[in-house]
Amino acid sequence: MSTRLRTHLACLATCALVLPLGWMWWSSLMPDEYSVMDMGYVDLGGGPELAAVSGHGSEHGPRHGPRHGGGHGSAAGMTTDIASLVAGDRPADVEVDLVAREEPFTLASGRDVTGYTLNGSSPGPVIRATEGDMVEVRLRNDNIDAGITLHWHGLDVPNAMDGVAGVTQDAVGAGEEFTYRFVAEQVGTYWYHSHQLSHEQVKRGLLGAVVISPGLDPAEDPGTGATVDVEALLHLYDGQRTLNGHQGDVPVEAEPGTTARVRVINTDNGPFTTWVSGADYRVVAVDGTDLNEPGAVSGEALVVTAGGRADLEIVVPPNGARVELGGNAIVLGPRGASPTRETAPRDFVDLLGYGSPADLGFDPTDADRSFDYVIGRRPGFHDGRPGMWWTVNGRMFPDVPMYTVTTGDVVRMRLVNDSGEVHPMHLHGHHALVLSRDGVPATGSPWWVDSLNVRDGETYEIAFVADNPGVWMDHCHNLPHAAEGLIAHLMYAGYSTPYVIGGHAHNEPE
Amino acid sequence: MRTVYKVLAWLIALEVVIQASMIAFAVAGLGIWIDRDGGTLDKATFEAIFEGEVTYTGVAGMMVHGINGMMVIPALALIFLIVSFFAKVPGGVKWAALVLLAVVVQVSLGLFGHENAYSGMLHGANALVLFTLAFMAGKRVSSVTATPTSAASPEHERV
Repeated sequence: MSTRLRTHLACLATCALVLPLGWMWWSSLMPDEYSVMDMGYVDLGGGPELAAVSGHGSEHGPRHGPRHGGGHGSAAGMTTDIASLVAGDRPADVEVDLVAREEPFTLASGRDVTGYTLNGSSPGPVIRATEGDMVEVRLRNDNIDAGITLHWHGLDVPNAMDGVAGVTQDAVGAGEEFTYRFVAEQVGTYWYHSHQLSHEQVKRGLLGAVVISPGLDPAEDPGTGATVDVEALLHLYDGQRTLNGHQGDVPVEAEPGTTARVRVINTDNGPFTTWVSGADYRVVAVDGTDLNEPGAVSGEALVVTAGGRADLEIVVPPNGARVELGGNAIVLGPRGASPTRETAPRDFVDLLGYGSPADLGFDPTDADRSFDYVIGRRPGFHDGRPGMWWTVNGRMFPDVPMYTVTTGDVVRMRLVNDSGEVHPMHLHGHHALVLSRDGVPATGSPWWVDSLNVRDGETYEIAFVADNPGVWMDHCHNLPHAAEGLIAHLMYAGYSTPYVIGGHAHNEPE
Repeated sequence: MRTVYKVLAWLIALEVVIQASMIAFAVAGLGIWIDRDGGTLDKATFEAIFEGEVTYTGVAGMMVHGINGMMVIPALALIFLIVSFFAKVPGGVKWAALVLLAVVVQVSLGLFGHENAYSGMLHGANALVLFTLAFMAGKRVSSVTATPTSAASPEHERV
């Protein structure tokens, strides 16, 4: 073989290796500014074609070249701007002013950290409202240069109030303000957090709890007698687990016989396990929705997924009880009570068969659209960075499905995790009913979720009614995973967002 | 080019040693953090480790193992294969391809280790295979250079 031929062959072989990689790298680069409506491909879920599906035409995500100008696609004139989807202008019943700052601060535990505060503390203030209240939250960004937003996790607010930078609003820059308004229609436990650079800003403290109480006439109160009602917001600051900012045991005074409700809120990136030492407990609500006829749990732990909530009810025994929360605990009992810590149970509450069935309010068997959300992982490039990246239905961000529905559709979704890691899947703006796991149908109380723990190898079927128009994120709430591209969107035909990722506000939702 | 081939081969072998050291460093430190410092390890904390939020002696080993294994070593193996096309080391392309194959297997076993612990066991064993392949590939250059009349060299002489 001549030297020249050999060199040519070597060059050819090099090109055969390098060129495909170079093309993959180049095509993964994201433009500086794009609309999520241009991402990926339309998925109609087997339902009828829809008019005014904006921005799509190709099977591919945002690429180089001219981007959209004003509206989106030819249907721009026919679509409703999601910025118009607000809560009405009736006077507020609950008004909250929140000032966000980046600063050093001291946790309730006494530990000093540098991060983000709301009104000088993190977690931020608990926002409390009664069912039916108009809630108005005026958010001011004092000094956070990257901009911030507030997303109302689990509250199915109007789309323009959802707080996702680049999707439902522009990030609120330093010195700027934004007012969120929504009607507190859902009784239960929720939380709020930034959805601008969320993987960074949530981790560093831009979050707080929301509790919405039933507006019951005392005469109609069913008489649960729950006289102790506490939030238990878990968050890792600098890698250390805290409970409402505290570390260790947090005593909550409660007389024996009192019924206590502990509202567990997982604000971190992974599921955690909770159990009660010294007493039985009931899981009375999940993700803000009450369960029907929840039975007493003994010797079993409960998994609360990332972003998820669970309300536990405990009748306080004479010696007190401990709600174990990842190394910390809420200690319920009379002053000085010190119930013994029990080790983690080996068995778990399975919400698939917990409680009793009840009316669902819709027929999930009569679905208009059925979607697949199959999570995988493969090597490739994400915005130019090589690595192992998440895929949705076999494709990598931004070439992900745009789940497209129309108002009133009954939607089924099959969530499959074949990626090697657990994913807490969070659908914005809707609550979904769990129908089955790995083919085993749900037999217990209706189990409504906004954050669902889908472990590796599991398949869940869920269903929801498309009753909240707009453009909604449907993503993994392990927030670094979302930043790595584990995101899709649910879009209503006939609606479009004027906001863009990037752009003048430097919107970067994850 | 032969020198580049040799250096890359032994660099990959050295990287395997670094990988083994780093993961043992990380696991040892993790044990001490839990046992002595009262650290609690769960999914969220595990994520925080990779976010650089948890600090203990050895935590850097976790990061180095991840970055080296997922990015640096695959890149080195790919460059090694490209260099082999030009290096004119007898059997050099074959050995470089074997090294790349072992790297692909190694990364896959590491990732499958997240869902199957036995895969992690094979990941440890395959590390030695990769080390041996890379070391032997580098050693070939030395032996070829030292004995230009070896069995493999006639082909080289012709070009």
